[in-house]
Amino acid sequence: MVTVDRTRGYRLFQGLNAVILTGVVIVTLYPVINIIARSLSDENAIRSGSVNLIPRGFTFQTYQYVASDPTFWINYRNTVVYTVVATLIAIILTTCYAYVLSKPKLKGRKALIWVAVFTMFFSGGLIPNYILISSLGLKDSIWAIVLPNAISVFNLLVMKAFFEGLPAELEEAAAIDGMNTYGILLRIVLPLSKAVLAAMVLFYAVAFWNSWFSAFLYMTQSDLFPVTVYLRNLIAGATSATSVGADATNMTVAANIKSVTIVLTLLPIVLIYPFVQRFFVSGVTLGAVKG
Amino acid sequence: MYQMNRRTALITIGTALALAGCGTDEPEKKGDDLSAKRDGAMANFAVGTQFAATAPVSFSLLYNNHSFYPIKNDWLFWSELTKRTNTTLVPSVVPLSDYESKRSLMIGAGDAPLIIPKTYPGQETSFVASGAILPVSDYLDLMPNFKDKVAKWNLGPDLDTLRQSDGRFYLLPGLHEGYWVEYSLAMRTDILEELGLEIPTTWDELHTVLKAMKAKYPDQYPMSDRWGVPTPGGALLRVLGSQFGAPGGWAYQNATWDPKAQKFAFTGAMEQYKQALTYLHTLVAEKLLDPESFTQPDDMAIQKLASGKSFVISTNAQTLVNEYRPPLAEANPRAKLVKIPVPIGPMGPIKPDPKTRLENGIMISKKALDSKNFVAMMQFIDWLWYSDAGQAFAKWGIDGVTTTKDGSGKYKPASDVDFIGLNPGAPKHLQKDFGFSNGVFAYGGSTELLQSTFSEEEVAFQKTMNARTALPVEPPHPLTDAEREQATLWETPLKDHVTQNTLKFILGNRDLGEWDAYVKELEAQNSKAYIDMVNAAYERYKKQHG
Repeated sequence: MVTVDRTRGYRLFQGLNAVILTGVVIVTLYPVINIIARSLSDENAIRSGSVNLIPRGFTFQTYQYVASDPTFWINYRNTVVYTVVATLIAIILTTCYAYVLSKPKLKGRKALIWVAVFTMFFSGGLIPNYILISSLGLKDSIWAIVLPNAISVFNLLVMKAFFEGLPAELEEAAAIDGMNTYGILLRIVLPLSKAVLAAMVLFYAVAFWNSWFSAFLYMTQSDLFPVTVYLRNLIAGATSATSVGADATNMTVAANIKSVTIVLTLLPIVLIYPFVQRFFVSGVTLGAVKG
Repeated sequence: MYQMNRRTALITIGTALALAGCGTDEPEKKGDDLSAKRDGAMANFAVGTQFAATAPVSFSLLYNNHSFYPIKNDWLFWSELTKRTNTTLVPSVVPLSDYESKRSLMIGAGDAPLIIPKTYPGQETSFVASGAILPVSDYLDLMPNFKDKVAKWNLGPDLDTLRQSDGRFYLLPGLHEGYWVEYSLAMRTDILEELGLEIPTTWDELHTVLKAMKAKYPDQYPMSDRWGVPTPGGALLRVLGSQFGAPGGWAYQNATWDPKAQKFAFTGAMEQYKQALTYLHTLVAEKLLDPESFTQPDDMAIQKLASGKSFVISTNAQTLVNEYRPPLAEANPRAKLVKIPVPIGPMGPIKPDPKTRLENGIMISKKALDSKNFVAMMQFIDWLWYSDAGQAFAKWGIDGVTTTKDGSGKYKPASDVDFIGLNPGAPKHLQKDFGFSNGVFAYGGSTELLQSTFSEEEVAFQKTMNARTALPVEPPHPLTDAEREQATLWETPLKDHVTQNTLKFILGNRDLGEWDAYVKELEAQNSKAYIDMVNAAYERYKKQHG
């Protein structure tokens, strides 16, 4: 009796779940498919509003047009370089910091945690940051993007929680066998932490891939911009009313060109997800449950 | 090293704060000794002289990177400019989307380039108190072309609107010879013909025409407008409001000069503003104007126009040709869309907004004064942005390469160069491939130069509009630093309240009978105190500076 009830309830739950999640999938996928359809459509068809899920006036010319713009590829390459370097540095620094913080015997541990958490709530503000980066001579270099954002406190805490959950006995055994701290970290702890590392790589990589603000602040040459700045300029156009109103020679960029740029920018990071996903889910929950 | 830099940073912040705190800059004598700053400058630079620095010089420039023609370092513009003027510009590239934030940031951090173009009149005031911007009015003697154009085109009163409470101005504006009316309405004339109607010349006639359209096509809104986001009725209320005597939309300012009363009035509470809103409300209530006009994205409005669901929309010359006609022609080859002269309102045949003939222009960092090339820089700016030769160069490029000038002096792009669709299919583009007609360098100038890019129908439109009378330029009313601080606190909430209620009144969410209550609400937000302050500033300026 009870089991039947439960099954019925469970079925209902599953059914509801399926309906709701299908709804979420549709809502999420629709804009993506719409953008893809636009990227393959004729500009006038988009203007007249006839493009929804299927391309009208099918053409690959827009892709050819965008691909023939050297600035786009230079910016694209920058994004790849910035993302790879920044993720690498971020992972190294975050791992080291988190590992140290996970050791209860560490002196001044609380102060170190406090220093990190403090930055979650307070920051120096835009202009002081800008002055700092300029006086350090980092402007117009990759380091202006890579260094200030190297440690995300949220990721740091997730990782610390994960390390705390590893059995201390493993490390003690390694120590008895004569390993030093670095040996333990590199040969024992990290191999056991692939899941959380993969999750961190994904978090950082996506964040760096999508970020445009630091580049906008600290870069003054268009050859140094990441593709996100290129894209933002294309899509946002003039944002202030004065600029819109007063510039009549203001030509707008065609809707299909925007769409192609979006698709090309979106693609790599979307393609990474399937490969990291299995680590991603287990990695995040491991840290979370034990934190 | 690191410690040192941090300390420097802290000191800089301190200085910046101190500067922001006490804004009164030390009195500076007009025409200080510039003899040590003449490196590279020409000894006798005058109107008609081609500027060429006597030694190679370079100046930093804040560059507004347009998405339609992103900057390229190999543009002919850069190399030819250096060849002609012996001057190299070093651009700091900022995406158009966030130009204003970056400009504030760089000026605030004391890191701005020397030349800061693309600054609209009024935007410079927030930087004046920081002392980071050069009071350019003190150095006009270095700029013969600028002075010549101001005198020739009688732009003195326009320039006065830029003056701050110290009587100086801090922005070198773009100068127009004539008024340039950009925005009006586009209308389907084939529908007019079908109904046997003429193009409406007044707003009342427009009302009648829309009613006739509605009678024939009862299921649709004859007018569905764009440019509603983020400012509701950005173009429409600007055009309509100015014809009623109280510009709204993009042109909205809390204070509007009332020439009859000889003082400023609070725009959002003016009777004229109410009349404009009443007019729009009538259109909405009679289902002549699509209520979504004030909230829909531009694309939607264009789609409605293109698919024949609406017949009237706001336009300027470019959007008419680039955004409306192509999709419309595809959907309905017989459709004819025309930009009509701005309908006349209760003010009679006046020119609508713009109120002045000033364009966006250039701020100069005060630290330029420390450079030994200062005089050369001012001469360079004067040549490139204000001389006839410089303006023609920036706009059209080089005769025989990017443009051809025929016997009557009319410019045309060279046969292999496209520009605003004049040579469709040409392999190169004047803006994208050569860097000319770039919004950073090319604007303003003589009517002849301005209209050299206009199509015939646009020239005809301008001719009609220029036959109307221009309103007097509103007098200067610069606020002191303390007043400006107070005004900033009042202005934004006031403007927000006006914007919100503008929308409510038009759409009928609030009854126009509640107008008095609404004016009271504005007064509760200090609209009266604000206007009194502006009027006091006007009186004070008049007394001090004539």
